[in-house]
Order: sequence, then structure tokens, then C-alpha cells
Amino acid sequence: MFKKISRKNAIHVMLFYTGGCNGCDIEVANAAWSPRYDLEQYKVILTWNPREADVLAVTGPVLRRTIEPLKKIYEAIPEPKIVAAVGSCGVRCGIFKDFGGELGDSDEVLCRVDEVIPVDAYIPGCPARPEDIIAGIAAGIPLLLER
Amino acid sequence: MGEKERKESAEVEVPVGLLHPAMLEPYRARFFVNDELIVDCELTLDPYHKGIERIMEGMPVEKGLIITERICGICSHIHLWNGTRAVERGLRIKVPERADYIRVIMAELERLHSHLIYLAHAMEVLGHETMCMRAFTLREDVMDLLYIISGNRVHYAVPIIGGIRPRCDIDEFRMSELHNRLSKLDIKIGDYANRVINDSLIMSRVKGTGVLTKEEAIKYATPGPTGRASGINIDLRKKMKEYKTFDFNVIVLDDGDNKDRVVARALESIESVKIIKQALESLPSGPISDRSFQLKEMKFSTSYIEAPRGEIYDSLALDETGRIRNYQNRTPTLTAMASMEIACIGDQLTDGMLTMASCDPCLACTNRAIVVENGKERIFTEEEVKSLIRRGL
Repeated sequence: MFKKISRKNAIHVMLFYTGGCNGCDIEVANAAWSPRYDLEQYKVILTWNPREADVLAVTGPVLRRTIEPLKKIYEAIPEPKIVAAVGSCGVRCGIFKDFGGELGDSDEVLCRVDEVIPVDAYIPGCPARPEDIIAGIAAGIPLLLER
Repeated sequence: MGEKERKESAEVEVPVGLLHPAMLEPYRARFFVNDELIVDCELTLDPYHKGIERIMEGMPVEKGLIITERICGICSHIHLWNGTRAVERGLRIKVPERADYIRVIMAELERLHSHLIYLAHAMEVLGHETMCMRAFTLREDVMDLLYIISGNRVHYAVPIIGGIRPRCDIDEFRMSELHNRLSKLDIKIGDYANRVINDSLIMSRVKGTGVLTKEEAIKYATPGPTGRASGINIDLRKKMKEYKTFDFNVIVLDDGDNKDRVVARALESIESVKIIKQALESLPSGPISDRSFQLKEMKFSTSYIEAPRGEIYDSLALDETGRIRNYQNRTPTLTAMASMEIACIGDQLTDGMLTMASCDPCLACTNRAIVVENGKERIFTEEEVKSLIRRGL
């Protein structure tokens, strides 16, 4: 009970950029920071340290070079944790997969985020709007408290 | 002293990255530090290579140009405009004047929002949270204007070959809304720039750090506002036919330190508002697109545009069915970051990260090809690159 209340009052979101186009990153940083959207009023705080994070927001498709860091960062986050895949690239690799010309897909773009780590919240959009990001993370908070 | 000797003389190596609170972008900076002074710096820029140029090989041109927009989520309009412009130049398609005006309005709004992100980021690295939040608040007003014109916050998809998309036309309602909001925004941005430039707290922190002299800037081909803050008087907008009717100043500053790079952006955003106001006042009536062209075989065609961070180069050829061949794209951050490697030498370690952030790095477009041989990655040497260019690759 006490644990639940105190956890609810300090939820840390870590943003990890696996290789999209930067649009969703700014929208996540914007949703969490900027005075208009301000996730901090719900006591959700942006952090860069996996060891204090509760929510991992992943933007972009998983690239050949980021699959290992993604697994490592996921393991470094203490339990309980939830993962949010942000943007079309996070949800379905966006336009970087299954879209190639004559040479086919790029070898660098490997797979979706949920093929590597379990994902709890999918936030679509190109880029995902700050309102949607707030709604997605707010929907994930009860999951976090039950675990 | 050579590069190798400088590295060997360093006492400590301080690696920063790939994820670090002081940088929103993924890159790795290795500072070689001697008694808190940086003696050398080494950057690794290409961790997140996606191979966009390769995906686009052999795509129908209108489909492929949508991918150019997804190269970067900050300057997406500029990338699409430049790709479209390269095709239009190659096929000699005439763009209606109204379409050019709306493209310019979008580009300048985008420059405004990019510069405001830069100022917010710079203030955050400085530790001045109030000014960071004020820049973010201002940026939301700019995003509203972009949303009114295009219907999306990022990835506006405004240009199309031969003009602009019909949904992005500025009708009467949008015009009055833009006028109202822009007149308020003009005052706010003026106030903000004034406050940044005259704040002794900010200026004392950034003055004299990260000096990049004019000679070094020319040697490293520093583009855009970063180069103009070092005294290089080059702005491609003055040479482009789309900007010929507008009256604006090119901001050139002489000191080349972090202060000038911040001030250059603050002053440039005022100039951008000036261009948008002129464009809205003299927006010509008429058609917004001319789609009566025939796609045919096109030889290698190039286009240069002044993006918020510097100049972008796009080149592509079309085959007889209108498919993209040999698309290439070169973005400004590559040379801007390289020149910051030199600029931070001799400073305190605490200023190193600020200098890195002061060139407005945007790494989504900068990640280039990596050569992998026997499981080990390596970077091309100068001779190898020259021989590749000689062979025409």
C-alpha cells in the first residue's frame, strides 16, 4: 500500500531512441517537459538513467546496432516496469521496413520493438502526438502499480 | 603537435555518450583531458545508420520522395522540398509562384521551430531552466502555425512535384488566423531574443568558450548559422530564386565562440518572422500546382537548399519509367560536428559538452555508411574516399 502510493507519486520515463527520424523523440521530450503538455503535473518525470526508470519509451525501429543496447537497457530497469512503443516506427517499423525499392529492405533495420522486448503500450502516429503519448503513458500507470 | 601525440599526452579520457543527459542525440564524444583542459576530442557519429539512400533505389519518384521527408523529424519540410526541387530542376518543371511562396512560408516556420529547439536545448545544457521552458512555450505557438497550414505537427508533406498539395493551400480562414497569431508571435520572439542576448548570466557563461576561427571554419567547411557565427558570409537563401522577392538580413558575426552561435540563432529567428510576414502580405493568387508534366528519363540532377542547420545537398537521376536512381543526400551536421571537434580544444571539460551542443547537432540524418570487414567496423581513409570519387561512385 505504502509502496504503491509512493511509486505513483514518482514515475520516471526513460526515452530510448533506437533509430527513427527524431520526430517522436522531440514529441516525447515535449510531452514530458514543455509547459503546454507537461507530464510532470501528473508526477511523471523524464530521466536518462535506466536504473531509476519505471517506463521505457522506445521510438523508432530496432536497428542492427541498437538491438543489444535495447536489451541491456531493458534489463537494467528494475521491476516493475512497462514499455511503451512510440510512433509508427516503434509499433510497426514505419516506412523503413517492407517498403524498399529494387534492392529490398535495408539490412540495418531489423525488426519491431515487440519482437525484442515485451511491449505494454502502443502509441501510433507519425509522429505520435503529445496528447497520445500522455494518454498512452497514463494508461500504463495502473499496470505498473498492479505488478 | 600531432593528433597522436596530443592524445598520448592526455591524462584522462572522458567518454560521453551514447546516452547522456546533456545530449538528446545519440553520438559518442571522447574528450582527452589534461588537468581539466581538453587537449583532444574524438567523435563517433554513425551509430544509427538506416540505409535510406539504399531503400530508395528503384522506387517510383513520388513514393520515394516521401521517404526523404522521414530522414529527419526536425527539418522534414526542407528535405522533401530539396528532393522535389532536384526533380523539378532536372525535368524543367515550372512551379507556380503561389506554391513557391507557401513553400517558403513553411521553410521559414520550420527554421523558427528548429532554432527555438536549439535555444531550448542550449539553455538546458547551460542549466537555465526558465529560458529553456520559455523557448519550448514559444515553439508550441510555431507548431500551431505549422499545424494550421499542413495538418500535422511534424512531416508536413507540403511540396509535391509541380507545386504543393491542395490541403496545404492558405485560404481566407487560415490567412486571418496566421496573421493574428504571427503578430503576437513576432513580439514574443523579439522579447525572447532580446532577453537571451542581454542576459549577463547567460552571456558570461558562453562568452569566449569553444572558439572556432574563420580560417578553421573555412578549412572544415562549417555550414549555415554555425559558419556564419565564425564570420563566413554565405547564405544560400540569397542565391535562391524563391527568396528573391524577400528582404532580409544575413546574420554574420565575428567572434566564433559559443556566444555568437547562440546569438546568431536568436537573431535569425527574428529575420525568419520578417520573411513570413512579407510572404503572407504579398501572397500571389493563382494555381497552386501544375501537374501537367511527363516523367521521363532524367540525367543526374542536383539541388542545394539552406536548411535550418546549413546547406543540404540532394542529387538523383530518374530512369525512363520514372524510378529513382542513385539518390544521394548530404546534410549539414556532418561538417558542423567535425568543426566542433576543433572548437572545444583548449577549453574546460564542462564547456566541452556545451560546445558540442552549440552547433545544433541533429544526428538522424548524419549517420552514414559503415564498412564492416571480418566482423570489425572501420572508417574509410582519405585516400580511399578520393579513389571512390575518382571512380565515380
